[in-house]
Amino acid sequence: MPNYKFMPNHTFTRACAALAMSLVCGASLAAEKKLTVGVADALTGGGAVYGLPQANAVKMAADEINVAGGIKVGPDVYKIDVIAYDDKANPTEATNAVRKLIDRDGVKYILGFCCSGSTSAVASFIRNEKAVMLVGNAAERSITTAKIPNLVRTRPPADYSGQAAGTFIARKGQKRIAVLGALDVGFYAQYVDSVERELKKAGGEIIAREIFSLKDRDMSPQLTKIRGLNPDAILVVGYVEPAAFVYRQAVELGMNIPRYGFTSGSEEQFLRVTTSEQMEGVWDLRPTELTLLSASKNGVAYHANYTKIFNASPSPSSPYAYDQLYALKAAVEAAGTVDNTEAVAKALRTIPVPPQVVMQYQPVDGKMFDSNGQAYTSNGAFQWQKGKWVFVEDLPSDSKAYSQFLSTLN
Amino acid sequence: MLIEILQQTINGLAIGGVYVLIALGLTTVFGILGIAHFAHGSVSMSGGYLTYFLVTAQGLPLLAAIPAALAAGFLLGVLVEMLAYRPVRHANHINAFIVALGLTMMVEGINLQLFGHEQVVIPTGLNRVFRLGGITVPELRLYVIIAAILLVVAMMIFVERTKTGQAIRAVAENRDAAILMGVNVKTIPLIVFGMSTALGVAAGIMVGALFAIAPGIGEGLVVKGFAVLILGGLGSFPGAILGGTVLGITESIAAGFISSGYKDVIAFVVMIIVLLIRPQGLLGRAP
Repeated sequence: MPNYKFMPNHTFTRACAALAMSLVCGASLAAEKKLTVGVADALTGGGAVYGLPQANAVKMAADEINVAGGIKVGPDVYKIDVIAYDDKANPTEATNAVRKLIDRDGVKYILGFCCSGSTSAVASFIRNEKAVMLVGNAAERSITTAKIPNLVRTRPPADYSGQAAGTFIARKGQKRIAVLGALDVGFYAQYVDSVERELKKAGGEIIAREIFSLKDRDMSPQLTKIRGLNPDAILVVGYVEPAAFVYRQAVELGMNIPRYGFTSGSEEQFLRVTTSEQMEGVWDLRPTELTLLSASKNGVAYHANYTKIFNASPSPSSPYAYDQLYALKAAVEAAGTVDNTEAVAKALRTIPVPPQVVMQYQPVDGKMFDSNGQAYTSNGAFQWQKGKWVFVEDLPSDSKAYSQFLSTLN
Repeated sequence: MLIEILQQTINGLAIGGVYVLIALGLTTVFGILGIAHFAHGSVSMSGGYLTYFLVTAQGLPLLAAIPAALAAGFLLGVLVEMLAYRPVRHANHINAFIVALGLTMMVEGINLQLFGHEQVVIPTGLNRVFRLGGITVPELRLYVIIAAILLVVAMMIFVERTKTGQAIRAVAENRDAAILMGVNVKTIPLIVFGMSTALGVAAGIMVGALFAIAPGIGEGLVVKGFAVLILGGLGSFPGAILGGTVLGITESIAAGFISSGYKDVIAFVVMIIVLLIRPQGLLGRAP
């Protein structure tokens, strides 16, 4: 029998060494694969109270995922790199930021999006791009009624929370409510409309709708007018900073009536403008979001890590962006690709709620996002008590019924 | 109804006081030197930021921080005149205009770099509320109104009763005659800019305490300041006082009785109506 020598011994040794080298190199190549995600958000200006914490939250999630081994796609492991651009909550700036991310940086996954005007501008063209858009805090309903296949949103629309808020206010027995807010912003108006519908069912009404703009800081004329109408309560809907001035100036005008709000500001953000005494008793009726008393284990850990890294408390809405990245990770791993954005977008609508998320989602048919690309969280009633937002109770919210309603809209 | 009108008047007086101080600074510079000092709002806000810094970061009491900021404001005004406007004083008017715009951008940029993009509120601890019948007057607003009145009175006394004030008025009336009378016309612009900026800083502190200071606030305020100037009459001190007060109260009453959404629009409509009837402004001199 011929003695086949497959190869000489020294050659065999070299081949083994080469194979080992190639394996090592292969492993290191896999480890070095990078998935760049973009963030378009308000990092400066009035919207920065929401946008900057969102951008921070995405970076924090990326670091956590990288430390935990990255995103696994077949044999490859992707480490996440984040590029963040400031859209100043401005539609034109947001369009430019996203165009830059897609065209120049080659980014396929874009996160952030705290504010409705800028988000709607990007949503209007994202359908035509090979990219996936994950919307955070922007609450305008129409963002997820356009049936854009490559867009999902972690925050529920404003009127989903407004409905629950209206029921809560009616239950408190207040009949004549005066509204002061950024009512020229669509989603705030939608929230108030939902509140009004629920109030009417209980025999209540909205007796005034006064407006302030994002840059307004003196709301005493509107409050004086409202005071003259003797309402049972006021409802303040708007960004944190002007809302904080409303709460402060209402006290200065001697308005000793219940104050309800829809603002999602942290204690720190409010205390830059008002005192704790001026805030005492104020209600915030909103998605449960991040408040330590209502937070899950993930929420508590998120709060601690964020505070440690950024030396500031996270805003209650910032986990919407944090959760985006974990949802994206789950979808990419489920789709088994980073390049096929269509497959990843489809996967987003099929994944269950990932275990790492912070917000308390109410899945529809077991899925994090419904067929509209919309996720739902629970709503809660929070009250300012002795310097802190205290979670008082859950507000009744039916995510499945709302999801069906949303599907009927265009 | 009467109570609401009185309350809106009180509300408007505080912001009117801020407009008066801004407009007085602008009218002094414009009336005497003929410069439309667009950077005035941004420079004023720097004083507000400085006060915030002295109180929060340096732990200075507010009553010590305010004079320090006013003094710094005076010096800043002197520097602005020396470094920015003096070199273009004899050039075409467009040069001073461009310098003013450039200065606005520069000061806004410096404020942004030093103090960040977030709004800041100067802590005062003045949270009491005084009640008189159905009218409420927050302690802070009351002090702002009183401080504005005191500053206006001090300014009027300075201009009317002191030798330097007389020299300033002389230069405003007839520069050549003032030179012949031995007035040192080189130092007058320095004093005017110093005073004007100190008044602006006072307004910046008031805005920072009552509301908030943030990028862009100064630019908005200077637009209102020029509106007051036109409403009251260009170069007229009493006009600036009357114009600022009228604008503040009009804004407040318009927001309360017509619509808060048209607060600014209504105020400017009033200005246009006044100018249609009196093109020279409420207290301006007819050409």
